[in-house]
Amino acid sequence: MSAPTMEERKACWAARDEFWRCLDTHTEDAPRCEKLRRSFESLCPQQWVKYFDKRRDFLKYKEKLETEGFHPAETDGKS
Amino acid sequence: ALALLPARCLRRLSLLPPRLLPAPSRGLSGPRGGPPSALPLGRRVAVVAAVGGAAGGAWLYLRARKERERRERRRRELRALALGQGDFQLVDHRGRPRCKADFRGQWVLLYFGFTHCPDVCPDELEKLSRAVELLDRDAALPRVQPLFITVDPERDDVAAVGRYVRDFHPRLLGLTGSPEQVRAVSSAYRVYASAGPKDEDGDYIVDHTIIIYLLGPDGLFLDYYNRSKTADKIAESVRRHMESYEPLLD
Repeated sequence: MSAPTMEERKACWAARDEFWRCLDTHTEDAPRCEKLRRSFESLCPQQWVKYFDKRRDFLKYKEKLETEGFHPAETDGKS
Repeated sequence: ALALLPARCLRRLSLLPPRLLPAPSRGLSGPRGGPPSALPLGRRVAVVAAVGGAAGGAWLYLRARKERERRERRRRELRALALGQGDFQLVDHRGRPRCKADFRGQWVLLYFGFTHCPDVCPDELEKLSRAVELLDRDAALPRVQPLFITVDPERDDVAAVGRYVRDFHPRLLGLTGSPEQVRAVSSAYRVYASAGPKDEDGDYIVDHTIIIYLLGPDGLFLDYYNRSKTADKIAESVRRHMESYEPLLD
């Protein structure tokens, strides 16, 4: 299976960006963006979909840290 | 004029015999205005200027010396590190065998990546190409050789690398080889690379160091640029290295 060409890469990135924009507008409400999700999955290699999903998670987590700050998990009991 | 002098000069001035200093509250009114034993205005200005000049000169000298020492220290560190020593035997994207000696005498910007890379490698190669373009604009500078070496020799054969590098700078040369040869050059340049798990298509992502290396004409590592460095900053840095270049190993 040969690597995506530049055109294929750009098509994949565009689909990913559209999908992510949809998620941004609907605050991560995945079902609303189902059609764009399918488009994204069809234009990108499976490995890339997984990779970009993880990247999205990371970016959202980073954003959360930057806006809400870091709260280590609370332990029960001992002070 | 006294206000322009750094503190240490004022301290030195205060060590001079009191009558050489201008009388404080009178201003520089000349021989008739001051006490009978004070120097004339012209002479006082000359003293201040001479001391100021000496202090300024000393400061410039010390600053230059500090800069020289910093550069010497850096050269010692680079020499000890000697990153990228040893030969490599790879094949370029046209099928020609290439070894390190082929690039001696050239400035090289080197990036390790793989053709199945989702986004980072195209971005970095785009950036590298742009930096080379910027440097190309200055006819006085030697032409930089952009180089791409794959960290995924299992999939990136000559044809695959050829298809890949076509999309970037026209001078970008892609190199590949056997897994052993690639492992050897990656370890010579301390590049980390680790193939991830394969999916049902046999596709996988290779986690790897994301760095653009600058190699001098003697083939040794001189500097590196991470993801946060823009093409402009890279071009600026390469230009500075070219202008101050001295061979690392004698």
